Amino acid sequence: MKPNRKENKGIGMTLRARLLLVVVAAITLEATSIIQYVYSQRGIKQEASLRAESELKSAENKIMDVVNQTEAAVRNSIWVAQWCLDYPDSLKRIPQRVVSENPVVVGSTIALVPGYDKKYPLYAPYAAQDMETGKIRMLSLATEEYDYPSMEWFAKPLESGESYWSEPYFDENGGDMLMVTYSVPVKDRNGEVAAILTADISLDWLTKLIGGIKVYPNAFSMVVSRSGQIMVCPVDTLVMNKTVDQFALESQDREALDRVNRAVLSGKSGETLVRYKGQNNHVYYSPVERTGWSLSIVLPDKELYKGVRRIGLLVNVLQVLGLAMIIIILRIVTRNQTKYRQLYEQKERIENEIHIASEIQMAMIPKTFPPFPERQDLDLAASIIPAKEVGGDLYDFFIRDEKLYFCIGDVSGKGIPASLVMAVTRSLFRAMSAHETTPERIVSLMNYSMSEANENNMFVTFFCGVLDLTTGQLRYCNAGHNPPVILTDDIKELPVEPNLPLGILKDMKFVEQETFLQYDDALFLYTDGLSEAENIAHEQFGDHRLKEALRGRKRSEEHLKNIAQKVALFVGEAPQSDDLTMLFIHYLGNASQSSNHLTLPNDVKQIALLPEFVDAVAKQVELDQEAASNLNLALEEAVANVMMYAYPEGTDGEVDIQAVVDGKSVSFVITDSGAAFDPTAKEQINISAEAQDRPIGGLGIHLVRTIMDTVSYERKDEKNILTITKTYK
Amino acid sequence: MEVSVSHEKNEIIVRFSGRMDTPGAQEIAPQMNALTEEADKTIILDCTDLTYISSSGLRIFLTFHKASLEKGGKVIIRNICNEIRNVFMMTGFLNLFEIQ
Repeated sequence: MKPNRKENKGIGMTLRARLLLVVVAAITLEATSIIQYVYSQRGIKQEASLRAESELKSAENKIMDVVNQTEAAVRNSIWVAQWCLDYPDSLKRIPQRVVSENPVVVGSTIALVPGYDKKYPLYAPYAAQDMETGKIRMLSLATEEYDYPSMEWFAKPLESGESYWSEPYFDENGGDMLMVTYSVPVKDRNGEVAAILTADISLDWLTKLIGGIKVYPNAFSMVVSRSGQIMVCPVDTLVMNKTVDQFALESQDREALDRVNRAVLSGKSGETLVRYKGQNNHVYYSPVERTGWSLSIVLPDKELYKGVRRIGLLVNVLQVLGLAMIIIILRIVTRNQTKYRQLYEQKERIENEIHIASEIQMAMIPKTFPPFPERQDLDLAASIIPAKEVGGDLYDFFIRDEKLYFCIGDVSGKGIPASLVMAVTRSLFRAMSAHETTPERIVSLMNYSMSEANENNMFVTFFCGVLDLTTGQLRYCNAGHNPPVILTDDIKELPVEPNLPLGILKDMKFVEQETFLQYDDALFLYTDGLSEAENIAHEQFGDHRLKEALRGRKRSEEHLKNIAQKVALFVGEAPQSDDLTMLFIHYLGNASQSSNHLTLPNDVKQIALLPEFVDAVAKQVELDQEAASNLNLALEEAVANVMMYAYPEGTDGEVDIQAVVDGKSVSFVITDSGAAFDPTAKEQINISAEAQDRPIGGLGIHLVRTIMDTVSYERKDEKNILTITKTYK
Repeated sequence: MEVSVSHEKNEIIVRFSGRMDTPGAQEIAPQMNALTEEADKTIILDCTDLTYISSSGLRIFLTFHKASLEKGGKVIIRNICNEIRNVFMMTGFLNLFEIQ
């Protein structure tokens, strides 16, 4: 039999469910991290934007400070320069003063428009601050190599008549440094431009200033001139050597760079994304007023999102770890569940096997009731109500040679071991009783077998009986079992020798006992599960309740049902502590009123019992009512004769009637122990005689003769035996 | 076995019911013996409710018959069932009695 697996569903998680759980967990974690990443990125970008803007603003302010100082330094000297135009020699004091009074200004000149002064067609005294000593040197730019009128710083403002910030340039003449020059035209009294007054500022401070802007460690800032020249850049080689256009050429993202370029060159501020050398860069830019410069901060995305990437990485690692944990936990849990399931299945299998064992066990003992429906002389019923799945109680019975062999037993202990011993006991009973006829022999042989191989010291209380169904003789042998109840007119215990249970002492001598059962007597055998059945108050059912329950005559099966009900009612909610086994044997044979046998005391009143007896016999040969009535009449006459003549009036005695039905003939053998009396010896009466001639007696035997075919008498063993036979065709 | 006796002007009606077997006949014998004193009258033995009769019962009938012969009365048997008629036949009582 396969174990029942239905209930296993619901225990444990299927592989699919586990997979689904992991996937859902992974998706949730990933979604969370993506959202977190996106929002962090956005926040970081906003923050970077704000920071870049503020940095740009502050840098611009600082640049403007310098620019303003420079412009102020120059403007403040214009009126002096105008005043000194007429005395060109005095002009050189002006750049000297500009440089000395303005720390930001590293060099200054006032260059006369060529031809303005007759004396000096070219005149440009230049004051330069020595960066190391801080002393001011006076130089002249009016040299042939330099040709200052062609210089941007001179030409542009002269041409436009407006002040002008030059493109950055490397000054070899004056300061040997990168510088820009602020130039203002100086007009004479006539409003003609007479000279250009300049102030140089080194780009060093700008580099320092811009270099100080560290929005992020790897971010950098650039200053680009209006022509696109890179003025300040952390990569020195790029400074003055490259224009933003050249960057654009190198970039994979020309379009974006062009955009930046245009925006920068047109003096707008803003931000844009530029892809450069395989990396995305955020570029924030802002123009510097008046100078035409553009200040920008370049922030590589890699840098910008370094933090959030790191967190993202960390989150990812944690996710993987978390998922791994989930999988591990699931595996552990599943393994445990598998273990539980295995245990559960094991338990179920054991229960199943116990159940099978129980079925096998129950199959061993006869349990079809009534077991002998054809027998009139025996009404037998038995039942086992097991306490556990399998019990150690047994009963058995069978009929051989008109003898009922029966037994009841209770194995010590409970459960499977008890049931095994029970099975062995039952087998031994069948084996021994197959050829032994006395209970003593059966019990002794069983005991011998069981004691010999009894390593577990299990023992069996056992009662074995052999009932001769024709005579009612009951031989029995008790091996430590509780005494059965015998139901005659009274209800009492069958007297038993206690002996020892089976399986204890190999050479135990068992005592056999004997009694006779009369018609309607009964024997009730049971195990202590009945008398010791306990209710919740731990009271036992006990013998008195049992005897009470056995009162009254009913069919054996009804008796057992009735007792089981009474016990169940008594026990109530208390658990059944032991097997409850009962065997009820109701004897309806032998001594008196079996259907073909009747014993009557010497009393003519007993003749009233004959019609019922004859009816039963008549049924066996299927006689009609008239024939049955005749048969009854013949028997009555025969019996009445015995009672009236064999026994003198008032003497005790019995008339024994045995009906023998043989195919189509019925014989009655009427036996009595009275005085010798041969009814056949009586003279035949003349039935055609007149009334006055007819004797009062003799009619009876005449009727017997008339009805029956043969009537024979014999005297044997001090008994009268009259046999009357009728054959039906 | 039950019996009821009713005396009318010139006749006595005896009604039997049940089985007149050996114990039944013994039971009614004293009453019947008393009735034979009046055998000078017509005695009607009503067997309508009699289902069975054995030799003991037949003896009672025979006693009545003999008594009536002695005393000049008359015994009439009324309404016998087939079983009893059969017994009467086997014993020759059919010829002995006046049966109605």
